[in-house]
Amino acid sequence: MPEIEEKNEKSTPARGCLSRREFLLASGSVTVVMATGCAGLTLPRGAKLRIVEYPRVRVASLADVKPHQPMVFGYPGEGYQFGSFLVDVDDRAAGGVGPNESIVAFNGSCTHMGGPLSGIYRKEYAVMGPCPLHLTTFDARRHGMVVSGHATESLPQVRLEVVGDDIYATGVMGLIYGLNRNDA
Amino acid sequence: MATNDTSETPVYQRDDRAPLPPKNAEVFTTCCDYCIVACGYKVYRWPVGEEFGGPAASDNAIGLDFPRPPLGGGWVSPNQHNVVTVDGKKHNVVVIPDPDATVVNPGGSHSIRGGCIAQKCYNPDTLTRTRLKYPMLRVNGKLERVSWDDAMDLMARVSQHVIRKHGVHSWAMKQYSYEYYENTYALTKLAFRSIKTPAWSPHDQPGPGGDAIGLNDAGIDKFSASYEDWYLADVVFISGTDPFETKTTLYNEWMLKAVNEHQQKHIYALPRATGGVALAERSGGLWLDLYPGTDTVLQLAIQRVILENGWEDVEFLEKWTNNKWETDSGFGQGTRNTPWQWRTTWGKFESKGYKDYRKWVLAQDYAKLDEASRITGVSKEKIRKAAEMLAKPVNGVRPKASFGLEKGNYWSNNFLNSTSFTTLGLLCGAGNRPGQMISRFGGHQRGGRSAGGYPRAESPEKAPGRRKRPIDLDRWTLEGNVRFAWVVGTTWLQAMAGSGELTAAFQRMTRDNPNQITSKDIDRAAETLIARVDSGGMVIVNSDIYPIKPIGTEFADIVLPAATWGEDDFSRANGERRVRLYQGFYDPPGEAKPDWWAVAKFARRMGFEGYDWKDSNDVFEESARFGRGSRTNYHPLVWLAKKKGMRGHDLLKQYGTTGIQGPIRYEDGQLVGTKRLHDTTLKLPTPEGPTVQKKWMYAFKTQTGKANILKSPWELFEDFFDHIKPKGDELWVTNGRVNEVWQSGFDDVERRPYIAQRWPDNFIEIHPDDAAKRGIESGDTVRAWSNRVPVQTGSMLQLEAPDMTFTALKEAGLIKWVSASVNAVAMVTPAIKKGVTFMNFLHKNDPANALVPRVPDPISNRYRFKLGVAHLERTGESRYKNDLYEMTFAPRNIS
Repeated sequence: MPEIEEKNEKSTPARGCLSRREFLLASGSVTVVMATGCAGLTLPRGAKLRIVEYPRVRVASLADVKPHQPMVFGYPGEGYQFGSFLVDVDDRAAGGVGPNESIVAFNGSCTHMGGPLSGIYRKEYAVMGPCPLHLTTFDARRHGMVVSGHATESLPQVRLEVVGDDIYATGVMGLIYGLNRNDA
Repeated sequence: MATNDTSETPVYQRDDRAPLPPKNAEVFTTCCDYCIVACGYKVYRWPVGEEFGGPAASDNAIGLDFPRPPLGGGWVSPNQHNVVTVDGKKHNVVVIPDPDATVVNPGGSHSIRGGCIAQKCYNPDTLTRTRLKYPMLRVNGKLERVSWDDAMDLMARVSQHVIRKHGVHSWAMKQYSYEYYENTYALTKLAFRSIKTPAWSPHDQPGPGGDAIGLNDAGIDKFSASYEDWYLADVVFISGTDPFETKTTLYNEWMLKAVNEHQQKHIYALPRATGGVALAERSGGLWLDLYPGTDTVLQLAIQRVILENGWEDVEFLEKWTNNKWETDSGFGQGTRNTPWQWRTTWGKFESKGYKDYRKWVLAQDYAKLDEASRITGVSKEKIRKAAEMLAKPVNGVRPKASFGLEKGNYWSNNFLNSTSFTTLGLLCGAGNRPGQMISRFGGHQRGGRSAGGYPRAESPEKAPGRRKRPIDLDRWTLEGNVRFAWVVGTTWLQAMAGSGELTAAFQRMTRDNPNQITSKDIDRAAETLIARVDSGGMVIVNSDIYPIKPIGTEFADIVLPAATWGEDDFSRANGERRVRLYQGFYDPPGEAKPDWWAVAKFARRMGFEGYDWKDSNDVFEESARFGRGSRTNYHPLVWLAKKKGMRGHDLLKQYGTTGIQGPIRYEDGQLVGTKRLHDTTLKLPTPEGPTVQKKWMYAFKTQTGKANILKSPWELFEDFFDHIKPKGDELWVTNGRVNEVWQSGFDDVERRPYIAQRWPDNFIEIHPDDAAKRGIESGDTVRAWSNRVPVQTGSMLQLEAPDMTFTALKEAGLIKWVSASVNAVAMVTPAIKKGVTFMNFLHKNDPANALVPRVPDPISNRYRFKLGVAHLERTGESRYKNDLYEMTFAPRNIS
């Protein structure tokens, strides 16, 4: 199991309808598929990535997920900012779930200036984008890291878990474009 | 493996919230500190502990409702917040692109670099904690804190001795040319007016002078275009750069918009495809994938197609270019003592008007399609197509073509490339009209204000013809002539060509000299350093914001902490001559001081007069009259401020992030900017007050006001090119910039977790065929090595023209061949031309410049930075190959 630490809330409590808990996700072994679905992180020096947990929502079934075919869903709130998409990159991906650790999900608003990225995906490179506004691209295998372009944050990654055939969204790593807090 | 000290690589943690500034937050205006484009920014500041603002427009200082819609501007991302110290108290700052901007970055557009600039601010809780805070002296090999008084006392004593005993030529200054008017004015006042040394060089060249020199010689100001011109053009010829990578907002807000709104076409000439090239190829543009250094041939071949078809703009050429008599009359530039004079003495470049030039081009075999295609590696079809797109009239109407160049062009074959580039533009009717301009896109921002002329007559270098020419400071240093050097805000060694050889010389003359300081006692330290310089050694002082490897960390005897962006009020212009105030908004760390302050303190200790400035505004106001004839003349602003009883900085502040484009004029009681230079649509009234009207505002920058059509004979470069180009299994190792760390690598790549995870290491792009042959995969570590990096040595005097050629230098025994080796992580991608590899231009531990010939262009004394050549071998596997946290190997040209 990856080490999960609950982190004390330091800032003002959530005001929206979403409940929120903050975790530090330990780097897991690349060879073990975790029950929480957060394997595949090989961070330097045992570092931990901070992920904020939101209510668990079923977003897809494993059987429906086909390689390189993005599936759109909303998470963790309602409204276009929360438009997200899930994709099987058909290769090991950071934070990937499923039998090949290859299913990942991201928010669909470009963290440069909010361009719509949902479903814009280049399967040859497992890259999201280029954004239709200013051509930024993000790496779906590497936590939504900017490949080339202008965003000041990686694309927010939606944390997934698999239970049986069900895929659940359980948390988000990063601030969604346009918002001042994800739970606002 | 990896070449960064990975133990320092920070982990990028993402927040799911960002603070909004409360309604009563203080607001400052500034611009991004990084690339030439210089987007306008706003800083919101409020004390730590006070409540954050709310999402309603009425509850935050930005005055906008959250959530922000796409393209809405004003979004605050977590990387745009920081905590700084103001008068000793902690304050929150939010630094965002100005959502109210109407120029440069309308609506708050931004790059990744400027977008994260809040992280630049000193905060002891981040990796900025390594900022230099106190003056330091190297005692027994280690840097120890000393007072400013002691540091200056020691510098002055050694300087006085060096100047007295070894002469001003032995007292050198190597400095940034751009880091704000206030600092560059102070530094050049010291070097040129007080010390009067010719041993001076800017950060990116071996000596002073122009960069894209072909433009100057033709009579074109290299920053004549306005950003709007890049929007107005129908087609843009883009040479040696991808503005998507390195001019982000200029590209997004002006060029990309033009592609979307009026189908502007982009023609790229460079060996590597990135985002802009990808967009060009899918929007009717072209990628001319040439071999490094062959731009001259490519540009001549395009010209030839144009001339053969009669597509040149005859009406423009008749009216706006010099004919036989005008050209002969002082080369259109004035007859004597111009920087051009010695080049005309060589007699190879001037033409007798465009008809004579046409004959010359048609007579050159290398301008023919077959030969040009062989030399450049660009297909004949593409060359033909480029000519057609640039010049062929459609339904009787010429396309409006503009021409932008950068370092891939003029830093591979400086004079000939920039000359043939300019002539191509002129044949297409560009240079003096809206949407039809010839300019640099730009690199760093334009903050140079020289306090006086470079003392050329004192320079030890002599070129053919009559004139002395500015120094090659690197060769001067390699030959052991420098005794004292003040290095300000530049790495010097890794930034220069053949950097390994230069580094070895520094080691020899500083640390390997037996005279090393063993006590903080200034009398004893002065004795030691004087003994060192008298024994042929060298003393280095390094002013910077961080410890710089190795100039500060290894070689400097004295290290001085500088205050920078946000820590004092500064002013500077961008790539369209737009002058703006960069407000200070927080305390510099420790005893760090702006460089103008350090110069003033040193100069007073030296006994020089005229350094009694109280603040940066005093320097700004004094500097104004030294720029009256320049493209960024702000003297009328300072004049008007005085008339109003205001400080110059305060009047400039009123212009906010809009600023005002130079040269600034005073008309009808107000200040007026100048949109473009050489602008035939500009109508000027009778000059008023301090207004300086120059002919080059509405005509070309020559005596006649017409442009020179210049030849660019490839044979003057060909012998060098043939020597240097890859042999056997060698590959080109060219180098350049990447978007994410462009003009910001000096402070973000090691300290900003978000950027560090993207670029944790040096990299090299390799074509799949070249990689397969060597068994290299993405993520492998490779070594690029060469045993034949040429280094020019010896004489500073070149009396006869043949001395200038590479062949003649070799025959005279003035070229030595040295070895170099550079490590990098492989990125295998078809986005680089086969036979060519591409490396980041300046990784501190593994500088690509180590492989670059240290033989400047003899015509212009500029380096050919892009022409590295090496063998490539796999050395192992980097951790990034399988680690999915740092570095990505996806290509940069996905469309």
